[in-house]
Amino acid sequence: MTLQQQIRANRLRTLLVLLGFGLLTGVFVAIVFYAYKPGVAGFIGIIAIVYGVISWFAAGSIIAAASGAHQVTKEQQPRVYRLLENVSIAAGLPKTPDLYWIDDPSPNAFAAGRDPEHAYVAVTSGIVELMDDRELEGVLAHEVSHVRNRDVRLMSLAAVLVGVIALAADLLMRITIFGGGEDEREGGLGGLAVIVGLVAAVLAPIGASLLQMCLSRRREYLADASAVEITGDAEGLARALAALRDDTQPLHTVTRATAHLYIESPLRDHQGLRSSLGGMFDTHPPLEDRIARLEQMGGFTLPQPA
Amino acid sequence: MLIVWIILALVVVAVLWLVFTYNRLVRLRNESSQGFSGIDIQLKRRADLIPNLVESVKAYAAHERGVFDEVTEARARTLSAQGVGEASDAAGRTTAALGRLFAVAEAYPQLRASENFQRLQEELTDTEDKIAAARRYYNTVVQQYNTAQQTFPASLVAGTFGFTPRDFFRLDDDGDRAPVSVSM
Repeated sequence: MTLQQQIRANRLRTLLVLLGFGLLTGVFVAIVFYAYKPGVAGFIGIIAIVYGVISWFAAGSIIAAASGAHQVTKEQQPRVYRLLENVSIAAGLPKTPDLYWIDDPSPNAFAAGRDPEHAYVAVTSGIVELMDDRELEGVLAHEVSHVRNRDVRLMSLAAVLVGVIALAADLLMRITIFGGGEDEREGGLGGLAVIVGLVAAVLAPIGASLLQMCLSRRREYLADASAVEITGDAEGLARALAALRDDTQPLHTVTRATAHLYIESPLRDHQGLRSSLGGMFDTHPPLEDRIARLEQMGGFTLPQPA
Repeated sequence: MLIVWIILALVVVAVLWLVFTYNRLVRLRNESSQGFSGIDIQLKRRADLIPNLVESVKAYAAHERGVFDEVTEARARTLSAQGVGEASDAAGRTTAALGRLFAVAEAYPQLRASENFQRLQEELTDTEDKIAAARRYYNTVVQQYNTAQQTFPASLVAGTFGFTPRDFFRLDDDGDRAPVSVSM
């Protein structure tokens, strides 16, 4: 596939995943209204919406604090800042994102912020020490692509939706278990409705998480392809990913909640799950696969690790 | 009655497509204009560095008049350039002239060691990287814009509303730009 084709294919798949999200939410809501009285369903709906709105607005400001990142100036980090300026110009961003610094020897980077005007790119001290200019430029271009492609907003939305569905499912379980008998007498709904509701409450959050991970993986491929479009240097990014692959230091301040933001999955303790489920719960595609795609795009082959 | 609805639906689809295509062309035209002003900003920034650079080299090699005139003339062209063609021509001349200026500076170790000269050289390298970055963005957008105009059926909209293809910002077709080796 050429670069343009990859970008187009990724956009299409993102759209399909988002449609899946909409469908899942719709079916879940329909089942809730079918299996429960309007009063109960409405109560769950209101709590879920309030929860969603609060987490949507709080998400952006929490990320920097949660990952231990602080802003640095051009004078403090001229090398990284200049590279960031260059890739931002080449990406056609209206302004260079702010640069945030994480004091951590593990090499990684992420982008955050609600739109291109208010975005920032965070790098660890480890990645800046590990990489040469060409590799670091590839990494920064990958992060700037996340900003330009509005991935940050998309992933925040996905995370909030997952949270809302999980909360609603949890409430449903409690209501069904502790108040189910009463509902049956008054509403006249049979045992079947209760079972359908329970099954939905169990399956919906799992489905939502799977879609979120799938979406995240799609956006990683797209950001890699866009980064190559920005720098015109597939090999630089491929070498950077190879360097990340060969590094084994885990990042200190990271949780499952912020894992999808980074250029490479910062969690390294779920090898068993990965192999048994074929990577369905991974936020990132395997680095080998990403490197292979870059090699195909640029028409080169990196030396295999010893 | 059914046929009326079908025709109505077709008209609605056609109008929606027209609006969508027109807006896409306008968006690409605006983006390519922004892209060009992005290059322009960096070219002006480079032009602003030149007087200081010429002064610092002049202090050591005042007799190299030809090179100084060439750089100054290329700078003037950059500042007065209208449109992509003139701007890229002036940019190519400036790069070539600066190459010769640095070749002259090579012969003066004291100049090369001076802090002022090193800072200017660093700024210049940075600006040239940024010109290259801005040029890459502009050319990518122009390619999208031109392709959008030339492919059927959007070409009908482009022709009707007067969208015209834009020139790429080229540097390689500049005839008098001989390769100059500069060791930094």
